[in-house]
This record gives sequence, structure tokens and C-alpha cells, in this order.
Amino acid sequence: MSETLTTSEAGAGAGTVTLSLQGALNLALDELLAEDPKALVLGEDVGTLGGVFRVTSGLAAKHGAERVFDTPLAESGILGMSIGLAMAGFHPVPEVQFDGFAYPAINQIVCQLARMNYRSRGAVPMPVTLRVPSFGGIRAPEHHGESLEALFAHVPGLKVVSPADPQQGYSLLKAAVRMPDPVIFMEPKSRYWQKGEVVTEAAAAASAAAAASAAAAAAATNDGGRSLGAADLTDAGLTGARIARPGRHLTLVAWGAMVARCLQVADLAAEDGIDVEVLDLRWLKPIDAEALASSVGKTRRAVVVHEGPRTSGLGAEVAQLVTERCFGTLKAPVERVTGFDVPYPSGDLEDEYIPNIDRILFGIQRVLEYKRG
Amino acid sequence: MAELPFPLPDLGEGLIEATVLEWLVAEGDQVERNQPLVEVETTKSALELPSPQSGKVLKLYGAPGEVIKVGEPLIVFEVADDTAGIVGTVPSEDAPKRRVRLNANLDED
Amino acid sequence: MEMTTGRHAGAAVHHTVEGTDPGLNVQTYEPEHPAALPPVLLIHGFASSIALNWEQSGWISALREAGRYVIAVDLPGHGLSSAPEDVDSYSPSRIRADLLQIASDAGARPIEPGHPDSGLDVVGYSLGSRLAWEFGATQPAIVRRLVLGGPSSRDPLAEFDLVAAQRFLADGTPIEDASTAGLVTMAQASPGSDMYALLSLVEAVKEEPFDAAEAVPKQPLLIVAGEKDERVEGLEGLHGLVPSAKVVVIPGRNHVNAVTARAFKQAAIEFLGEG
Repeated sequence: MSETLTTSEAGAGAGTVTLSLQGALNLALDELLAEDPKALVLGEDVGTLGGVFRVTSGLAAKHGAERVFDTPLAESGILGMSIGLAMAGFHPVPEVQFDGFAYPAINQIVCQLARMNYRSRGAVPMPVTLRVPSFGGIRAPEHHGESLEALFAHVPGLKVVSPADPQQGYSLLKAAVRMPDPVIFMEPKSRYWQKGEVVTEAAAAASAAAAASAAAAAAATNDGGRSLGAADLTDAGLTGARIARPGRHLTLVAWGAMVARCLQVADLAAEDGIDVEVLDLRWLKPIDAEALASSVGKTRRAVVVHEGPRTSGLGAEVAQLVTERCFGTLKAPVERVTGFDVPYPSGDLEDEYIPNIDRILFGIQRVLEYKRG
Repeated sequence: MAELPFPLPDLGEGLIEATVLEWLVAEGDQVERNQPLVEVETTKSALELPSPQSGKVLKLYGAPGEVIKVGEPLIVFEVADDTAGIVGTVPSEDAPKRRVRLNANLDED
Repeated sequence: MEMTTGRHAGAAVHHTVEGTDPGLNVQTYEPEHPAALPPVLLIHGFASSIALNWEQSGWISALREAGRYVIAVDLPGHGLSSAPEDVDSYSPSRIRADLLQIASDAGARPIEPGHPDSGLDVVGYSLGSRLAWEFGATQPAIVRRLVLGGPSSRDPLAEFDLVAAQRFLADGTPIEDASTAGLVTMAQASPGSDMYALLSLVEAVKEEPFDAAEAVPKQPLLIVAGEKDERVEGLEGLHGLVPSAKVVVIPGRNHVNAVTARAFKQAAIEFLGEG
């Protein structure tokens, strides 16, 4: 990975902590609750239990049971309550326990949460960040693994984001909660236990102060890409895509759990002499079309990878955005490697459904061998 | 390691408390999910409570004969930080395996 | 709260008995590692059910763990069984006929020497013990071993003051007889109980009261009761009829909470595990 998250280049040395995605999200929520007295965390088992994935562990004890609280098992109620709290000036961070249980809340999300801003001509913003443990990979039963990004991205008024690793989880959750708009925050549950280095905002601020601004600027532009450096730990730096690995021959576009898999594929492709760039889209609504154009304009080949079903999946949107901007220079049509048009399978069938390394390599090969006419 | 408390669950039928009859595990025991933890008696019947999860028993609340109210602590588990949620399993981080190899003539670029 | 192990439970096929379908809920449970031993039929007590007497109490998981195939039935008017209006559906003799058909439909077959998994072991609790006693005595060809929990040599249901109970249910007139009042309280507390079906059962039992001496089981017999179960003194009556019976008294337990006791389950599993 090209990403330079340590601040050593800026001369600060320390400043990173090693956290799992769970831990990084927990830290972000902890800091958000501390900095913003209007922030609230609510959902099934988020209080006493600390969340089934431990993301809200300890928050109720630290910030009080009136700010981090358990709700009845009723997702429509969780969202309805969050909307009401937002109207009353709070900044709720609700959780639905598993992606499949976002469906019972769809009416509140689509018809109320996403529209209140429009309906009130901006007088009633909805600063609500809905955390949704998302995607497959943990061999869960039905309703506990879904890939809902295309559904949410299709709803005007919602922002949709998915972090790929602990640093992204920490930084993107903070950015999402601070936004005045409703954000669907899709946490890749198969990556919850993955550990990584995280630069906290406090560490980033300290390093920025310690180093000369010129040195910091030099460090941030070292790889010429859009990677996240200390200087990017601001809302402005977190609205677009990021290059998770630079490459020359082909761009793999992914988000959430598929980013890690695409990074593995890029390493394998390198053994065959193919230099793959991995673009972590991060924001799925709005999509960073300029980052797509910039990357594919350079590599002239693109494969988009996602877990959700193919038909009307977000891969189609990505392919079209690339085609509109890079049609003249593309070497081949944008290839899609996706889930199938069937309900998300449970248990071991996940291995057949979720794009695996070989399916992604096949997608790359199809693009590489494409011949015009 | 993390501590995970398990309160006396809602036993249904408007029951608000239960009397501990006999513990079937001891502090320090490693228990599996669904393993019987304790016998309790309500005003309606006696029942065994199965463990909601696997883990090490850190603390037991209530000696035999004592009454515990629904929602009050019953048992505290010690669980690994990377334990999966109530549903699913932690994916293993295996080295990537491949069968497909790439070949391309990039000279045409 | 999920207490049952539903994925191992199945509903058995059933036939009518004497031309009528008793509408009894039957659940069977497969062990993961079957032992070469016969199925175990479980008969619950008055105002109880499969769920209360056997599932939530941990009996079914303990028996499955011991490799036993379990057949459990909700008595008429109890649990998930139907509650017919005619009193005859509740008579102990009719229930025994239904149990025989149910056990046979669930795969139990007559005892055959040299086939350790042939026959049927029966565990009853309270009223279920009375039925098990009679079932064993009248079906020696199929019943191999018997466990009676919280049994009584007298018959508390036969002494039940039905008129007082009906008056209490109609207008709240207090019930004078302590045993009757206790049984009504228990029945009212029982989740999902059909009070009128339970009274029909009482009525039917009064027609056919328990007479332990009338038919005495010849099978190996284990009798278990809580030390504080007021029926424990009556055990001697049954023991007198079957001197070879093994008797286990659970210290500190009463008629309600002896059901879950580990000592009871362990004694029963050990006893039923003998060849």
C-alpha cells in the first residue's frame, strides 16, 4: 500500500495507534460523543452489550445511558426516533444491527430521512449517520449479509460511504457524523477484526504543529496520488476516492471489503507483470467521478468489483462514469466482477457468490485481451 | 480480552424475577454457546438457562436461593476482543490462492 | 428467548386412534451421536407441556447428548395440542392408547432380544408418572424401562373439587380445599393453558382414578422426587408394589423445581443407559 499514514515523514515519529476496524470505529464514536454534546448513539444492543460487533463497547458507561442507549427490536422505530431527534437538534448515530434489517426501516430512510431537507427547503437538515454492518464474508445466516449500496445510492438526499480499513473507518465516520446530511455508513463486517495503523486527529494535529508546513505539504504529495496523509484528516480531504495502490496498466475500482481483496489481486497481477492500480471509491454517493477519470485516464483499462448483484448494481454506474469521461482512450469496455442476480446466500455459499481472487483475475484478463472490432 | 455481562433475560409471560436453584458452571470455567449455565425457578416453572455464547466465566451473581430480577446481572463472561458477533464467524486471513494467471502483450500500449 | 433446539426437532407422522385424531402435538429429537438404545418417550405433568417440562428444563438436550432419540408429546389441552370439547378425549385410558400409537408412529418397536435399540423407555413427571406407570404395566411388550418423577400413589387430581373450581372460575368464590386451590393456581399460571380443557382432564381422571395396585409394571423402575415434594411420603406406596425399584430423593427440591435438577437427569440417563 502506498498510503503513508505514519507521520514520520513529518518528523513526529510516533502518533499512530494499531486498531482493528471495530476499535477504530469505537474510538471515532468515543471522540465524537466527547466533542459534540448533541451526538447520540442508539440501536439494538448498542448500550449494555456494546454492540454485537463490539463497536459501541464501553460507550454507554463512559458517556451515559441517556446518550448511548438500547432501543426495541424495531428498525423503523430506530430511524423514526433518529429523525425526530435530528429535528430537535440532536446528531443521532443510529445502528441497524445487520444490513438485512435495514429493510424494515426503508420507509423511514427513503420517505422521511432523505427528504426532510428538500421538503423543508433546507430548514430541517437531517444530520443522521446510520451505521450498517454490511456485506458478507462472515458466514452468517439469511438477512445478516447484504450489499445494499445500490439501493441507498439511488435515493436522492442520502450520502453513502463505506470504509475499507481501520484508518478509513475512523476518519470517514468522523467526517460522516459531522456532515449536515443523512449518511448511510456501510461497515464491511468481514473486516471488523482486521488491524491497521490509525492516525488519530489529535496525533495529526500534533504532528502538523510540530512540523514545518512546507515539510508536511511535501510529505502529503510524495506519491502524487490522493492517499490520505495527516493533512487530509479533515472533512475536505474525505469527500472523495483514494488510491489504495498506484499502478500503470489497469484500475481496479472497489469499496468496503472488496478493497482488501483487490489489493491481494494487485500483488498477484504484479507477479505476471501487470501493474494494477486500486482505487478505493469510499464515497458511493456522490461518486468521485474526477478520481475515476484521473485514474482510468492514466491506465486506460478498468475493472469494477462489488459484492452486490450485477443488474443495476453500482458497477454499472461506475462503468458509465468512466465511459463518459474516458471513451476515447479506453482500451476495452469496463468489466464488472460482481455478485450474481440471486438473493445474497448464507453460510458457505458465500464463497461462490462473493467475487474471489480468480474471478477478479479473469475480469482483468478479459480486459487485457480485448480486441477492437 | 473484554468483559461481557449477561443479565437475566426476559423469561416471558410477565415474569419479573427468578430464584437461583443451582449453578451448573463455576467462575473460571470455559463454557460453550448453549451450554446450560444455571437452573432458575420462576413463579411458574423451573428452567435451565443456556449460555448465550462461548467464553470464560468471570463472575456469577446470586447464590442458590437468591432472587435476581430480569435485567439484573446474572453472569459476566470474558471474551476475546476479536470474538465474532452473536451471528457469524471471524473470517480467517489466509494467504491468497490463485489458479488464474494473466498474460497480455502490453507492448501495444 | 430461544430455548428450544428446533433444528433437531421434527413432527412425526400420526394415525387416528379409534377413528378420531386426538390432535396431539408430537415432537421428536434426533441425537447427534445415536447410542444403541431405544427411544425415550417423555410424558409431562398436569398444566405443563413439552416446552416447560422437557425443553426449557434441559431434559431434551441432556438426553440428546446421551445419544437418545426422544419422543415428546403434549397431553390433550396442553402445550400445542388441541383441546377437544368431549371429556372422553382426556380419559387416561384414551391417552394411553394415543401414546402407544404415537410411539409406534415415531419408530418405537417391541422389545426383541439381541436388539438393544428395540423397545421404548418412558419418563413421566407428576401426572405423566401416573400415565407412565399404567403404560408400562399394560404394555410390557414394548416398554423396557421406566422413570417416574414426582409421582404419587394417591391421586391428587381424583380428589380435586371440580365444583369448587368451576364456581371459583365463574364468580371468584374461594376454594376451600387447599390441594384443589393449589392446582387451580398452577393451571392459571401455566402459559397458554386452556383452563376448561384442564378441568375436562380432571373430570376424566375422576372417572378413572389412579389405582397403582390395579396394574403394576414389571420393568426396571426408577422413582425420583424432591425432598421437599409433599408427595415424597407417598413414594413408599409405589415402592411397596415394586420392591426392586430404585428410589432417588433430590435434596432441597420441591415438586416444581426438582424437574430441572441435574441429579434427577443424571440418575435417569444412567438408569436408562443400562442394558
